Amino acid sequence: MQRYIVKRFLLMIPTLLGVAVLVFLLMRVVPGDIVQLKFTLEGTGVSDEFLAKERARLGLDKPVTQQFVEWMWGIVRLDFGKSMWTDNPVTAEIALRLHLSLQVAIMATIVATLLSVPLGVLAALKQDTWVDYAVRVFSIAGLAMPSFWLGILIILCLLIFFQWLPPMFFTPIWVDPWANLSQLIWPALAVGYRYSAVATRMTRSSMLEVLREDYVRTARAKGLWEQVVVVRHAMKNAMLPVITVLGLEFAFLIGGLVVTEQVFNLNGLGMLFVESIARRDYTMTQALVLLTGFTFIFVNFLVDLLYAWFDPRIRYG
Amino acid sequence: MTMKRFPPRGRPLALMSAGMIVLACMIIPAAMAAEQPKAGGTLTFAVAAEPASYDLHRETSFASIHPVAPHYSLLVKFDQWKYPEIEGDVAESWNISKDGLTYTFKIRKGIKFHDGSVLTAKDVKATYDKIIFPPKEVVSAREASYEMVKSVEAPDDQTLVFRLKWAAASLLANLASPWNPIYKADILAKDPHWYEKNIMGTGPFTFVEHVKGSHWVGKKNKDYFMKGRPYLDGFQAIFIRDTSARVATIRGGRALIEFRGFSPAARDDLVRALGPKIKVQESPWLCVLTVAVNTQKKPFDDARVRRALSLAVDRWGGSQHLSQISIVKSVGGVMRPGYEAYAATEAEIVKLPGFGKDIEASRKEARGLLKEAGYPQGFGFTFKNRDVKEPYEIVGVWMIDQWRQIGLTANHVVQETAAFTKDLRDGNYETGMDFACDFMDEPDLQLFKYVSSSKNPSNYSKYENPKLDELYEKQSRTRDAKARRALVREFEKIVLNEAFTVPTLWWHKINPHWAKVRGWNALPSHYLNQDLADVWLAE
Repeated sequence: MQRYIVKRFLLMIPTLLGVAVLVFLLMRVVPGDIVQLKFTLEGTGVSDEFLAKERARLGLDKPVTQQFVEWMWGIVRLDFGKSMWTDNPVTAEIALRLHLSLQVAIMATIVATLLSVPLGVLAALKQDTWVDYAVRVFSIAGLAMPSFWLGILIILCLLIFFQWLPPMFFTPIWVDPWANLSQLIWPALAVGYRYSAVATRMTRSSMLEVLREDYVRTARAKGLWEQVVVVRHAMKNAMLPVITVLGLEFAFLIGGLVVTEQVFNLNGLGMLFVESIARRDYTMTQALVLLTGFTFIFVNFLVDLLYAWFDPRIRYG
Repeated sequence: MTMKRFPPRGRPLALMSAGMIVLACMIIPAAMAAEQPKAGGTLTFAVAAEPASYDLHRETSFASIHPVAPHYSLLVKFDQWKYPEIEGDVAESWNISKDGLTYTFKIRKGIKFHDGSVLTAKDVKATYDKIIFPPKEVVSAREASYEMVKSVEAPDDQTLVFRLKWAAASLLANLASPWNPIYKADILAKDPHWYEKNIMGTGPFTFVEHVKGSHWVGKKNKDYFMKGRPYLDGFQAIFIRDTSARVATIRGGRALIEFRGFSPAARDDLVRALGPKIKVQESPWLCVLTVAVNTQKKPFDDARVRRALSLAVDRWGGSQHLSQISIVKSVGGVMRPGYEAYAATEAEIVKLPGFGKDIEASRKEARGLLKEAGYPQGFGFTFKNRDVKEPYEIVGVWMIDQWRQIGLTANHVVQETAAFTKDLRDGNYETGMDFACDFMDEPDLQLFKYVSSSKNPSNYSKYENPKLDELYEKQSRTRDAKARRALVREFEKIVLNEAFTVPTLWWHKINPHWAKVRGWNALPSHYLNQDLADVWLAE
């Protein structure tokens, strides 16, 4: 098992390196210039000399190969550089927003898990009854409804019926839990519902498959309680694809909630990502892509470990 | 409640206006008595973007001005109630020599920086030295506006002297620029980049915090040199990129005002939802949408073709209809319509190509010009535009329809802003939507857009005309307003006939805000009047 973990961990390095090369090249290919954007966007007539001075300050006048080598050398030293837009260290800019994004992702995952697992199991156990139909309608509605749209509905309902809006500033949960939750519960619900729809359907189909397996029939034939059959024998095995879905969705939520963050005006990584691409903030975009890449790889790694925990055949294989 | 400023001119209105002034003289003092400013409260306002750095000398976006300006003082500033009149800020008084070559300012005594140190003329000198004569590694965005300045001197703590190379009409107004906050000389001497990440001013509010991507907080400067100001205990700026989220924030009362401006639809939504709790201030906006024509691409090297493009546009009709759905309204030439000192009057502008009220006659002339240039059947071309709906795409679609009516087929290429900006600046376009926004009405600023491309990189048309450059210089050095106005008209006539960059419609600023926000007057520029010293909350 230890060998397996070390091997999987080492495999992350070439993957991240590939991501780094790709994002560096792609950012240089995309047309646009951060300096022009920063200083001419509001129609200001700044001179070419002014722009050249600023480009030199940012190191954009150097050959691309030199820029790449310098960036990679920085990464080796865990120095991801400074944002070309704000001149602050990219790690500080990311750290500032990571807390919020992580909390929304965790809360949305909790909402999704609490909804999807019981509903999916129930739908499978009550297949083709009104319960199953109701769960399917609920999950299809979640899939059909973009989370940002649900977010807009939530905001409008709060405004129109309660003349109230969630707080605009992020307060860490340990400072003021009430302020924190009253800001983040709404996006977590909006995102969690859509997220649960995917997981509910996966749970249902996986459970249906498992419930028809011979070992479940054997367990029932042994005279085990139905609860034990479902929870210990069926659910444990049915959870493998569900965990994969939950894991991938969680990784996506870390930096992918762009529109939802806009709707709720959340200062998260998704917004930072889009803004840094739109601004051609190379250093920031590169660092964010690396972070997202790392998150996906790491979550996959954790999912693989969970697989091994759920299914001993993987552990001993 | 809608408050419209800058009413249209005209003889029939004169008597009515006089009557209203008399009435106002009777009513305003009574209203003022009832409206004694109240101290206290925190003003929360929304900002659509976030400052890249805190140094206004190098920045060019309103996103920097709105949160940063309340921390600083200027040398002189525009009087928000009597715009474009100028009043002193750290300057108590000033004197301009008869030859216009020496400007002497008396600096107020007892002004303190937020760290308790006293402001002297040396601080103002250090500030202007950084703006006008920046050290090699420092970028100063408006250095070119002070080309006429030979030196800045501080002979004693209370006296500041600007010596000029030539008498310039625009210097005093340029010194009222909101982009020129006064910094501390000692700090600048140690590190000219310090102000990019730090705040230390003498303004009405001290800096509390800036949480990146979220908000900015300032609190009342108890040592502010204007006695009794500011009225507010503090302010909070919330950064909200999404337009609908900004509108919702105002509607929900989480923010009381947004200083840049909303669309007519957002204004109507807020008025409908909040009724008398909302007040709307509207004014012509010192921003203009123009069409840049690349004169190095055929057939746009032919002035007749370019003029035909301009003649096809029904600006007066567009003003009426587009102002219902977008933030454009006024019809004007190179200066903001309504700015009496230098803008063309309606009688003057209708005589220029593309601005006549008989659109059929204009379009007939346009078709004739195209025929003369060898394009009797018209032709197709690309029109590049920014992927920003308000007002770019809306006006872009309208422009294409205008050109269609003289047989021209424009392919609307909507680009992401970064790519669009690069293409325009690099000359990689045939025609494109361009715009200009300035902080004050001043021919030196507005006319600069049309100066030859070799002298002005923001003239994206690649057009060269020494006559225009000469006229620009001449008007800039003419201190007699009447003579200068005549030069501006001459300049405008050439610009609109050559049509290398043509104004379409001027923007219209709409500021809906909670009625309890008092002491803030919407000026024609969203860069001005942002120190919040006079703002107070009625509840």
